[in-house]
Amino acid sequence: MRRTAAVLTVLLFAPPVLAGCGDDTAAPPASGDDGPTTITIEFSGDSVSPKGKRVEVKAGEPVQLVVKADQPGELHVHSTPEQELEYGAGTTPLKLTIDQPGVVDVESHDLEVVVVQLEVS
Amino acid sequence: MPGDGISLAHGIGGAKDLPIPAELAILGAVAALVISFTVLAIAWRSPRYDESRTGRPAPQWLARIVDSTAYRVTLRVVGMILFLYTAMAAVFGQDLLTNPVFGIFYVWWWVGLVIASVILGPVWKAISPVRTINLAFARLSGSDPDAGVFQYPARLGLWPAAFGLFAFVWMELVYPFSTELGPVRLWCAIYVALMLLGGALFGSGFYERGDPFEVYSSLVAKLSVWGRRDGRLIVRSPLANLDTTRALPGLLAILSVLFGSTAFDSFKDSNFWVTFTQDSSISTLVLNNLALLGFCVGVGVIFIAGTVTTGVGPGTRRLDLPNQFAHSIIPIVVGYIVAHYASYYVEYGQQTLIQASDPFGDGSNLLGTGDLTVNYWLSFHPTFLAVLKVLAVVGGHVLGVIAAHERAIEILPKRHQLTGQLPLLFAMIAFTVGGLYLLFAA
Repeated sequence: MRRTAAVLTVLLFAPPVLAGCGDDTAAPPASGDDGPTTITIEFSGDSVSPKGKRVEVKAGEPVQLVVKADQPGELHVHSTPEQELEYGAGTTPLKLTIDQPGVVDVESHDLEVVVVQLEVS
Repeated sequence: MPGDGISLAHGIGGAKDLPIPAELAILGAVAALVISFTVLAIAWRSPRYDESRTGRPAPQWLARIVDSTAYRVTLRVVGMILFLYTAMAAVFGQDLLTNPVFGIFYVWWWVGLVIASVILGPVWKAISPVRTINLAFARLSGSDPDAGVFQYPARLGLWPAAFGLFAFVWMELVYPFSTELGPVRLWCAIYVALMLLGGALFGSGFYERGDPFEVYSSLVAKLSVWGRRDGRLIVRSPLANLDTTRALPGLLAILSVLFGSTAFDSFKDSNFWVTFTQDSSISTLVLNNLALLGFCVGVGVIFIAGTVTTGVGPGTRRLDLPNQFAHSIIPIVVGYIVAHYASYYVEYGQQTLIQASDPFGDGSNLLGTGDLTVNYWLSFHPTFLAVLKVLAVVGGHVLGVIAAHERAIEILPKRHQLTGQLPLLFAMIAFTVGGLYLLFAA
C-alpha cells in the first residue's frame, strides 16, 4: 500500500516524485555474479510462486528457470518473438535467452498469472 | 479459439519498453519545472495569436492541388480501399493474432492516425470511410450530405466523441478479449453503424463533433502547420494553429480520456500494479475498469482545479475556463503518446504491414510486403529510446505551457494574468512529472 500511496501522491503533486525516484522496483539478480541468473518457480494446485516478481537479467545471457510443479504445463514468455516453455510434473530445469531489451512477462496461461517480469537490459 | 495472450489482456505485442533511467526522469522533471517558470517570467504580455492574422497563405501550387476535386477524391478512394481491405480481413480472415486487423485497429488507426495528423493536418476528415459512405448515400438519394433531419444539439459538443474514445481505450486496455476477432469486428461494426446514423440524423457536420477518430485527428492536427482561413489553405506556426482550437463542450473530456488512458496503460504494466492486482481478492477486470476510469477522471479534475482557481473579469464564466484552456494539453497529450507508443508504433507498425499482405492467413503475399522483416533498431537502443521519450514529454510540456500562457493573457483580466496561470502551471507540471514517473516506474 505504501507504493499505492506514493503513486497517487506523485500523480497529484509534483515535487514528491523527486524523492520517490530512488527506490527501485526491480529486484537484483537472483544469483551471484558468476553463472546464469536462476529463478525458481513453484506450482502447486492453483497457486504459483513467485507471482509477478520483477527480475533484472542481461540481454543475450541465458536465464535458468527451475520449475517445480505438481502437474505438467506451459510457460508463455512474451518476448519478441514469443517463446513457450513446457515443463513436466516434478522438477524441470529450463533455459531461456532473450536477446531484445525490454520488459518480458513470463506467464502461466492456465492460471492467468504473470509469474515473473524479466527486465532485460 | 486462440488461446495465446488472450486471457491476460495483452493486446498485441510481446516485450514492453524498459523503464527510463531515473536520472533521465529527474532531468526531464527539473527541465519541465524550470522551463515552466521561465516561460511565465519572460514570455510576451499581450496576445500574439489573433486567428484572423496569423499564418500566411500556402504556396499557390500547393493550395491548387489540395483544393482540387481530384485530390479530394483520391484521398476518399484511399480511405475506402483501406476500409474495405480491413473489413475483408476482419470478415474472411482467421481469428489469430497474425490477422492484420489487430495491428490495423490498435497500431495504424489508433497511433498512426495521430502521427499522420500532426504532420499532415486533419487526415481522418479527408479519408474517413464513414464520411465517404454518407456522401455516397446523399448523392444516390439526391439529398444534401451536410443536411440532416435534425439540427445537432450544440450543447452536446464533443461529448459523443469523448464516449467513443473511451469505448476504444476500454476495448484496448481493459476488455480481456481485445485480441479476438469477434469483439474487434463488433466494435468496428457498431462504430460504423453509429456514424452512419449520426450522419443521417444530423448531416455530415456530425462527424466534426461525434466521430471519435475525426475529433482526435483534427485536434492533434492543430499541432501541424496547416490551417484554413475563409476557406484558404494557410501555413502557420503550430502554436498559432493550436490557439484556433474551438472550446466546445466536451473538449476537456476528450483530452482527459486520451491522457488518462495512456497514463493508465503505462501504469497497468508497472510491477506495482501487476503484483497488486494478482494478490488482490478483487478481480483484475474490476480493478482495471476502476483504474482506467480513475485516471481519466483524475486528469479532468486536476485540470479543472488548475483552471478555475483564478480571478476572472466580468463577463467570463469561471466554469467556461477549463474548456477554454483545454487546447493547451493537446501538446502534452501528443508528447506523452509519442513517448508511450514510439517503439510500439515503429515495430508493430512494420509487423502489421508484413501481416497485411496475408489477410486470410493462407500464406499469400498480396501486397508484396510479406517477406519484409521488422527492424528492431529502436528496441535495441534503449538509451536512445529513453532520451526520445523524455524529449517528447518535455517538448509537449513546453508547448502546452506557452499555449496556456497565451490563452491566459487573452481572456483573464490584467491583474490575474500571472497569478491566474499558476494553478494551471502546477497542474501541467503534475501531468508531465506524473507521466515521466510512470515511464520510469513501468
